[in-house]
Amino acid sequence: MKGAFDSASAGKVTAGLGRVRVQLPFVRAMGGNKKIWVALAILGPILLLVLAAPFLSLPPPLETDVRSSLEPPSLKHPFGTDKLGRDVLSRTLAGFKVSLVVGFSVALISLVFGITFGTLAGFLGRRVDQTIMAVNDLFLAFPSLLLAIGLVAIIGAGTVPVILAIALADVPRFIRLQRSLAFGLRSRAFIDAARTVQASKWWIMRRHVIPNTIAPLLVAASIAAANAILIEASLSFLGLGITPPAPSLGNIIRDGQIYLQEAWWISGLPGFVILLVAISLHFLSDGIREALDPKARK
Amino acid sequence: MEPLLQVRNLHTYFFAKGGTVKAVNGVSFDLMPGERLAIVGESGSGKSAMAMSLIRLIAFPGRVVEGSVRFDGRELLDMTESELNTVRGRDIGTVFQDPMSSLNPVMRIGDQLIAPLRKHMRLSVKEAERRAVELLRQVGIPAAEERLKAFPFELSGGMRQRVMIALAIACRPKLIIADEPTTALDVTIQAQIVELLKSLSQDTGSAMLFITHDLGLVARFAQKVAVMYAGRIVEMGDVTQIFHSPKHPYTQCLLRTIPSIEGDRRRRLLQIEGFPPDMRKPIRGCAFRDRCPAAEPQCAMEAPELVKRAEGHVAACWLDEGLASLPIGRDWLAGEAEEAEAGAGLEMAPASSAAGGAGTVAAASGGDAPVLAIRGLGKTFLKRGGPPWRRRETKIRAVRSVDLSLRPGEAIGIVGESGCGKSTLARMLLGLEEPTGGDIARSGEVQIVFQDPYDSFNPKMRIADIIAEPLDVRGIGSPAERRLKVRELIQKVGLDPIFLDRYPSQLSGGQRQRVGIARALALDPKVVVADEPTSALDVSVRAQIINLLSDLKEKSGVSFIFISHDLSTVRHISDTIAVMYLGEIVEYGNAEEVFREPAHPYTAALLDAVPVPDPVKEEARKFKPLGGELPSPANPPAGCAFCTRCPLASDRCRSEKPPLREIAAGGRKAACHEIA
Repeated sequence: MKGAFDSASAGKVTAGLGRVRVQLPFVRAMGGNKKIWVALAILGPILLLVLAAPFLSLPPPLETDVRSSLEPPSLKHPFGTDKLGRDVLSRTLAGFKVSLVVGFSVALISLVFGITFGTLAGFLGRRVDQTIMAVNDLFLAFPSLLLAIGLVAIIGAGTVPVILAIALADVPRFIRLQRSLAFGLRSRAFIDAARTVQASKWWIMRRHVIPNTIAPLLVAASIAAANAILIEASLSFLGLGITPPAPSLGNIIRDGQIYLQEAWWISGLPGFVILLVAISLHFLSDGIREALDPKARK
Repeated sequence: MEPLLQVRNLHTYFFAKGGTVKAVNGVSFDLMPGERLAIVGESGSGKSAMAMSLIRLIAFPGRVVEGSVRFDGRELLDMTESELNTVRGRDIGTVFQDPMSSLNPVMRIGDQLIAPLRKHMRLSVKEAERRAVELLRQVGIPAAEERLKAFPFELSGGMRQRVMIALAIACRPKLIIADEPTTALDVTIQAQIVELLKSLSQDTGSAMLFITHDLGLVARFAQKVAVMYAGRIVEMGDVTQIFHSPKHPYTQCLLRTIPSIEGDRRRRLLQIEGFPPDMRKPIRGCAFRDRCPAAEPQCAMEAPELVKRAEGHVAACWLDEGLASLPIGRDWLAGEAEEAEAGAGLEMAPASSAAGGAGTVAAASGGDAPVLAIRGLGKTFLKRGGPPWRRRETKIRAVRSVDLSLRPGEAIGIVGESGCGKSTLARMLLGLEEPTGGDIARSGEVQIVFQDPYDSFNPKMRIADIIAEPLDVRGIGSPAERRLKVRELIQKVGLDPIFLDRYPSQLSGGQRQRVGIARALALDPKVVVADEPTSALDVSVRAQIINLLSDLKEKSGVSFIFISHDLSTVRHISDTIAVMYLGEIVEYGNAEEVFREPAHPYTAALLDAVPVPDPVKEEARKFKPLGGELPSPANPPAGCAFCTRCPLASDRCRSEKPPLREIAAGGRKAACHEIA
């Protein structure tokens, strides 16, 4: 049996990425988590509105109509209008779309870079670790909002610079997290088991390290997405983010700021949307964390 | 005389999300003052839950739902939390399994000892301090005054357990509850702790409740024994009654599943098939019936009550003599049925080496070229400390200079206390650690079976992928061939291929260890290193794994290296024994000879420390436990490494290091000046 097996196998090398399988108990725990349902109950309708925006009879977000300047909320304009007579709901939904793009992109960039460099640093250790972490700590030393402001000031405003600026502040945190997780796995017996069959470091990182760190990383990513949305709003509010007239939740609020006394809805209603989104995203990440952490499950 | 502790119909349930776990299902017993009762059972039998229920230390979501616990004339289950606290601290002392997590890591030993003394005994600071020193001396801690200022991490495991015992006896309790107090310790230390508990109970008159899964310890320690299975006591009696005339089939099986360091070596251990019942499901009839060879229709209908068998001896079985009542049970106990089944049931791969099947002793002495030869192997770890301008380097010589060779089909057992270098040696053989001296010649694959079956698999991988991983890494075979090979491997270790689609978390400890063995065999290794392969398993499952390993050894011609501190297991599977002490082999030779007549005083002490599961023999042994602990490998004694603990040590031992020399024909070697 042995001989036949050996000869048939000679020279073949297998490839194929280690598949990350989500285990059933995890999905079940997510489904059973109340916080996740609360978050989805808030986010779901907002997302639906964003997607349905083109089909609603709303004026386009950039269309001005000076005759209906500063109109309070009505059936025609549910969120009212601003100084230039633009529909605030339409602008809020468009701005929210930008927020989502920013949040998602930042989370994705942070995950990719965090997992890559964090795994290398934590698993390989020594020189690689020292080098990566030296650079990493340099970035960590800056306050994240300041770093973002500085970067936008250098490379200019717009969606892509904002994404890059926020990600630059988040990536080092992800690298730290992934490094510590990978480091903890290094001495586990199943890693030793793979080493005794002379599995390459690349193989071990792909098949054993990353699949076992992905869960906490996803939690961090959901928190990072929520924060990115808030930071984007703050940057835009300060005039450093998305450049008007393109709408973003931050610059809508900024525009309405000077009319706060006569037209509260311009800032107030988009502000309320940000509040809802931020709360629900934090609920969501909390829920995911509880679902993933067996100790938090009751 | 009034019983000190009277437990009646105790029920403890855990209201978990997946269903109610009925951990304790109606336990009743009496404990007289000064009596030593051992509660024996496997994990999940409810023994710890029962003991913790007595003092209401059951964690959420567990709750005592029914029953009565009368201690010293008072009902514990009705007390308020504050009343109970004075009882727990003063009248009942507790010792847990893991002394590191039971001691506060950021408090000095002295402070932890003094607080309860002041609270319960109302002593002044000065008096309490004096008493604390006295207590530490009483539990055998040298330099007690200095130890008061130490933190728990500065003490060894054995010393920490002594501190726990000092805490437990601090207020002169009437009862001490010890939950697996020696499980985390080495054999020699274990023997010291058991002796200490025994003498403390004799000196102070405290009653003791000793919870353990180790029947040998029970024989050494207890006066009375209660055997628990599935949340109930199935048999209870005097220690001699339980060991010499057990009446319940479970007790009868348990006593035969344990390998012994004494007498003739049985070829196969008796094994109890199957697993304990799921405690979430209601149990109809006798809980043991699925695993009982003598089960009858009646057993499925109605659970037997504890019935008196002799004075002070009760058992819960419909049959008067348990298994011995029926011919089928007698055969089973005699091991005949087992042999037949083993021959038919386990399909083994054809032996790939000539040595397989032929007597293993012959294989050991035959002239085959060794599959593994190591010469002068050493490993020194460097530990750097101190500030950068005054670097201090400590050399820790984990393995000093080891020569070994392994023939095809030979099984070598490496024994020694933790810290003796046996695991480092194994890691070097596997290529996980670079040796700092000497060389290793391997003639084929060396694979490993790990100690902890809970840590040795990637929890995110299916069993099929886990077993196939070595093949995947090497790129052996097409995917279809690999699947075939994986099925073959899992059947070889006695598991149903249905397990291939499961995840490690869905398997029991014994099943996982089988998967670990299947993975180790995937590359058709010449040598398999088994690092404490059974120490994390329950007694009944342990026998299954030991049998599986001995079958594999005999039928497939693989050479084995067993690393263990459990001498009885090593003896059962090994042809040759190497005893290690502080990084060196101090005795080497044929397993039977080493066990029959240990030459080195250290080997003799190790063997002495292993309890024999027979109370009469234990009584007759009158051994003296080996004192002291393993010296630090960073600062080994001059001369013979063992001289600090050796009863034979002379001046020569303290100055001149004895070489490993041949002391008898047949390759028997030992490193000692004092033996002929």
